[in-house]
Amino acid sequence: MLKMHNVRKSYRTDTIETHALRDFSLEVNEGEFVSVTGPSGSGKTTFLNIAGLLETPTGGQYLLDGQDVSDLNDRDRSRLRNEKIGFIFQGFNLIPDLDLFDNIDVPLRYRGFNAKERKKRIEKVLEQVGLSARARHLPAQLSGGQQQRVAIARALAGEPRFLLADEPTGNLDSLMARQVMELLEFINEWGTTIVMVTHDPDLARRAHRNIQIVDGQVADLRLQSALGEAVTA
Amino acid sequence: MLGYYISLALRSLRRTPVLSALMVAAIAVGVGAAMTTLTLNYMMSRNALEHKDDVLYALQLDNWDPHEADDNPSAMPWQVTYKDAISLLRSDIPTHQVAMHRWGGPISLDPSQNSGGEMRPFTAEARVTSRDFFALFDIPFLYGGSWQGDADTSPVQQIVLSESTNNKLFNGENSVGRTVNFSGTPFTVVGVIEHWQPSPKVHDLNNGSFNKSAEIFLPFGLHRSFEIYPWGNTNGWKPEDINSYEDQLGSEYVWIQYWVQLDSDEQRERYREYLTGFIREQKAQGRFPRPLKFGLSKPSEWLQLNEVVDGDDRMLNWLSLAFLLVCLVNAVALLLAKFLRKAAEAGVRRALGASRKAVFSQHLVESGCIGLAGGLIGILLTLAGLALVRQLQMGYLDTVASMDWLMMLSAIGLAILSSLLAGLYPAWRISRTNPSIYLKTQ
Repeated sequence: MLKMHNVRKSYRTDTIETHALRDFSLEVNEGEFVSVTGPSGSGKTTFLNIAGLLETPTGGQYLLDGQDVSDLNDRDRSRLRNEKIGFIFQGFNLIPDLDLFDNIDVPLRYRGFNAKERKKRIEKVLEQVGLSARARHLPAQLSGGQQQRVAIARALAGEPRFLLADEPTGNLDSLMARQVMELLEFINEWGTTIVMVTHDPDLARRAHRNIQIVDGQVADLRLQSALGEAVTA
Repeated sequence: MLGYYISLALRSLRRTPVLSALMVAAIAVGVGAAMTTLTLNYMMSRNALEHKDDVLYALQLDNWDPHEADDNPSAMPWQVTYKDAISLLRSDIPTHQVAMHRWGGPISLDPSQNSGGEMRPFTAEARVTSRDFFALFDIPFLYGGSWQGDADTSPVQQIVLSESTNNKLFNGENSVGRTVNFSGTPFTVVGVIEHWQPSPKVHDLNNGSFNKSAEIFLPFGLHRSFEIYPWGNTNGWKPEDINSYEDQLGSEYVWIQYWVQLDSDEQRERYREYLTGFIREQKAQGRFPRPLKFGLSKPSEWLQLNEVVDGDDRMLNWLSLAFLLVCLVNAVALLLAKFLRKAAEAGVRRALGASRKAVFSQHLVESGCIGLAGGLIGILLTLAGLALVRQLQMGYLDTVASMDWLMMLSAIGLAILSSLLAGLYPAWRISRTNPSIYLKTQ
C-alpha cells in the first residue's frame, strides 16, 4: 500500500538546513493498522505529510498503491490525495462556518460526484459515526469527540483506502479517545489501511504494528500484533 | 464547481462583513469615479450620425482673410455666408442639402385656440432651415411632414414642431393644420417630428455641442420678411458697413451651417468639381481671396475637427483610471489580508483533495463576487456623479451626463475585471501556501 525507500526531507533557510527525514524507509501493507510514535521533532508529522502527499520528499522514492508518486505534479497529487487518502487531525480541522453536512461534502465536491451521490455518501458516513441527527449543526455546537467523529466521517466519505491520522485523540478526554479509537479499529476491520501518529503508548499498542521515528529515521520495527497478544494474555 | 465557489464566496463575505464592505467600497468608489468620466467621454465621443457617416458632409468654404487662415484646426471658417448658401442651394447634385442656423423666439397658441389664456407663451429654440433638413438627418415625423419646396426661397409661414413642443402646445394631439403664434405671427403647423436629440449635436457644433436640439423648425425663406439675425456665431474677417438687413445678407459674414448628402463616389466627384467651379466663379468676382480650398467632412471627421472631446477630457479619463488603480491597490491589500486569514481553511481543503488551481479559482471567484457588488454600487455612484455633473454644468451636459445600458454593463465588467486583477495575487498567494503548516497549528 505504502512504500518509502530512502526518503529524505530537508528544510533550508538562509542560515541553516534541517533534515526532517533521513533515508527513511518503511512499508505498510494493505489493511494494516500502523501506529507511529516518537519524540517531538523526530519527523513524525513530516512523514505523515509526505505520506499524505501534502509535501514532496527532497529525495528517495515513495510508492503509493504501487504508483511512484515522488515526482507527480500538484494536480495529480491532489487527485490521488482526494481519491485514496483520508486525513484525521488532532485539531479536527473542520471548517467552522460549514455545517457537518457541508464539511463532509468538501472532499466529495473535489472528487466531482453529483449531488445525489454526495448526499448518499454523506448520510451514510454520518450514520456510521452516529451523528445523522446533527447534520445541520455547526462544528462549534458539538463536543470535541463529536467533532473528531465528523472529521472521521469526512475522511471516510470518499471511501479512501488509506487513512492518515495525526494524534486523532490528542485533544480528547479518555472516554472520547476510546470511542474514537474504537471507531478507527472498526474502520480498519472493514479493510481501510490506517497509519496513526500518536504519543499515547496505550493507543500505539492497539495498532497491528508500531514504528518509532527518532531523528528522522525509523528506529524500531516490531510486530505489534504479537506484542498485543502478549499484553492481552 | 463555479456554483460551489460562488456559494463559498458569499459565505465568506458574510463571515467578514466589515472587511468585505471595505473591499466593495474600494472597488465601488474607483469604478464610480472612473465610470463617471468614462461615461461622459463615451457619450461625448459618440457620433449620432454614424449610420450616415459615409454619405453626409459638412461643407466649408475658405472665403477668409487672404493674409491669415481662420484660427481652427481646419483652417477654414466653420460656416458659410448667406449668399453662398443661397447659391449652393441651387445645385441639383446632392441628394439632399441643408442650409440652416439657430434662432428662437416666443411661441404660443393662436389666440383663437387659447381663449382661456391657459397657455402662456414661452421662448422656443428654433432652427431656420431648408426643407431637406428632416430627410438629410433622417428625422422621423409623428404627424405631417416638411414644408413645401418654395419655402426655402419665399416667405411661407409654416412650422414644424418637436414632439415636446407639440406636447406642450397641443397635449400631444395631431396638430397638423393648427395655427401657432411665433414672434407675434401666425404659423401653420405642417409637421411634428419624433423626439430627436442627437448628442453630440453633430449638425450644429457651433452652438454648444451638447445643448438641447431645436424645439421648432422654420423655413429658410423667411429671412427677408422677418429680418432674421441668427442666435449663434456670426464671424467675419474684414470690416463691413452693415446698414440694412440686405447688407447683412450680402455681407461676407459667415453664419449659415451647410450640409450635403452625397450617396455615391460619382456624386461626390461631381460635387467637388461643382464647388471648384463655384469658387473659381467667386474668385473671378473678387471674392475668395485665399487659395482655392473647400472642406467636405463626414460627421465623424466633423466631430474630430471641432474637438468635441478635447485633450483635457482625455486627461481626465487617465486620471480617473489612475484613481481606480489606487483603489485596486487598496483592494489587493484588503483581499490579501482576508485570504491569508483563511489560509488554514485553504490548508484543510488542500488536504481533502483541492488542487492549487482549485484553491486559486475559489478565491478568484470570491474576488469576482466582490467586484460584482462593487460594480453595482459603482453604477449608483456613477449615476450620482453624473447627476452632480448635470447640476454643476447647469444643463450644458444634460444630454451626455447619463448612462446607457452599454455603460452600465461596462461598469460591471470594469468592476469584475478590476477585482479579478486585484484578486490575482492574493489568490495566487493562498494557493501556494504550505497546507501542512496550518493543519498542524490550527
